[in-house]
Amino acid sequence: MDLDFITQSLVIGLTENAPLVLAAIGFALLYRLTGLINVAYSETITLGAYFGMWLNTTYGLDFYTILIPTGLLTGLLSVATYLAIFRPAKRRNVGTLEMIIVSFGLSIFLRHGLQFVFGYPVRFYDVPPPDTIMILGVGVTSFRLLAVASVALLSLLLWVFIQRSRYGLQIRALANDEDLAQVSGIRPLAVTTLIWFVAGVAGGLAGAFYGVGSNVSALLGWRQFLLILMVALVGGSWGLGGVILVGVGTSVALAAMALQFDQSLYAQLVLIVAFVVVLKVRGTRLTETAKV
Amino acid sequence: MNLDWLDAFLITGLFQVVMVIGLALLLHLQLGLTRIANFGVVGFWGLGMYAFGVLYVKVDWAFGEPWQFLVCAAAATVVAGLAGLLVGWLIADLNTDGVLVGTLGFATAVQILATTQDDLTGGARGMGGLGFPYDIGRVKDNEFLWLVITAAVVVAILMYAWRVHRSPYGRLLIAVGGNEPLARSLGKSTFRAKLWLFAVGSAGMGLLGAMNGVMVHYLDVGNIGVGVTLAAMVGLILGGTARVWGAVVGVILTVGLFDIVIQSYLPLPKEWYTQAIPVLREAAFGLTLMIVLLFRPLGLLGDMRRDKLMGKIHGR
Repeated sequence: MDLDFITQSLVIGLTENAPLVLAAIGFALLYRLTGLINVAYSETITLGAYFGMWLNTTYGLDFYTILIPTGLLTGLLSVATYLAIFRPAKRRNVGTLEMIIVSFGLSIFLRHGLQFVFGYPVRFYDVPPPDTIMILGVGVTSFRLLAVASVALLSLLLWVFIQRSRYGLQIRALANDEDLAQVSGIRPLAVTTLIWFVAGVAGGLAGAFYGVGSNVSALLGWRQFLLILMVALVGGSWGLGGVILVGVGTSVALAAMALQFDQSLYAQLVLIVAFVVVLKVRGTRLTETAKV
Repeated sequence: MNLDWLDAFLITGLFQVVMVIGLALLLHLQLGLTRIANFGVVGFWGLGMYAFGVLYVKVDWAFGEPWQFLVCAAAATVVAGLAGLLVGWLIADLNTDGVLVGTLGFATAVQILATTQDDLTGGARGMGGLGFPYDIGRVKDNEFLWLVITAAVVVAILMYAWRVHRSPYGRLLIAVGGNEPLARSLGKSTFRAKLWLFAVGSAGMGLLGAMNGVMVHYLDVGNIGVGVTLAAMVGLILGGTARVWGAVVGVILTVGLFDIVIQSYLPLPKEWYTQAIPVLREAAFGLTLMIVLLFRPLGLLGDMRRDKLMGKIHGR
């Protein structure tokens, strides 16, 4: 294995797949702290791409300017889905399995419903060609570098927020024991709403980065969902740091295999098999521990 | 046989309904009885369809129809069943999250293989060359006979599901769905029961995929998307996951409504049929899933008969 191959894999993996890490952080936050596998998170990503494209093409805003309103819009939409669908479902004691199917239904509804709003054809951002910067001999666009910086910044902010702030403490308390947290004066609705908002912002920004890097279509988020889910499930066991680590590892592995096989789909195939095997081994171990 | 009264679209629509009923019945055994959420129905269905297509088109068989069809369909069923065995082994001791990853991952893997192995499958271009294992005259006659044969297969699946409900094996599956650790503590091999269920269910889905390949004549990667899983799931959940007839009633009310009533009988503008109606269909299915699970989680037909009976006996 030559040094060029390793360098290319690292640079391409880290810059091209930075939105994957960003989306996985948002998804894992929701999963770890509310216990919900939200399939409709894929549509938060898609909507981020659509909102960004809409702001960019309708109001002529440049890509850097649209990021904040895009994040806010997807954050609010994420909160809206919680208040309109998932909170009532929880109050009706809908089970874990059924909750996943509800989120699957919401995902399908949004994915197809938004085609009536934004149209059926594939859409593109109207942005000037980005600057290309050479990093270790590999050309990287300024948008991709911004995605990497956003992942780093958001990860840091989330870590500080969850580990060091008063709200972060409340979030962790709520995740551990909702009843006890409520008795201690924590307002579950406010804290849960905050989690959904932050997750929505992360998903929306990831969508905008995916969209500007290629194109915007209704299937954009769904195509990424399985990898995001796997990264969040496998990495999530070790907290936010684990998600970032597994996300980065996945990104680099994707790039390396795409370079090796000359076909990115094979890389996805290998990763799917690898992640399922990891879950299988870990699942068996958990069962064995539970038996003891 | 004079079939002039029968619209060609109606045959296609009825075939869709019958096939999705078959998938929903098999999903009923997994999701309804055992509470295994198989989000990869389309994977097993697609694997059966492509395995059949590859064997039928690429292999130079020494014998003609109907043996060629029978051998290829049997092989496709076995391939899908073996895949079910493997996936079942991987997910049998995982929780719902792991099952979601395993089944969704399998469906994605099938789609990736169908796209990338273009020497075998034709890749994104698709693969033609499939046909009916008989020729009784006009295309419509052949299609109608195939609809009848597929309906007979689905009736056999219905009978199987019916028998499972009333067998010790079915009671074990219900126990696994209700409280797996308890069933295991009573000495039942829940792992083996789930494995067998997954293998048989997947084999059935593969057979239906092969039969679909015969009907459509042309295999396209675009047809093995999540819409197939959605159609089976929404039909089953609307009708009621716990009842055998739930799959039948639910699929008629969902796929039947869109693929027969709206497609064939509503006087809608022609341009709507290319994009608006298919998109509306999927959006409506998604909305139905949410509404049913929020407001009537047991579906239209409600709980199992045995639960109602026990409730009556115990004054509940």
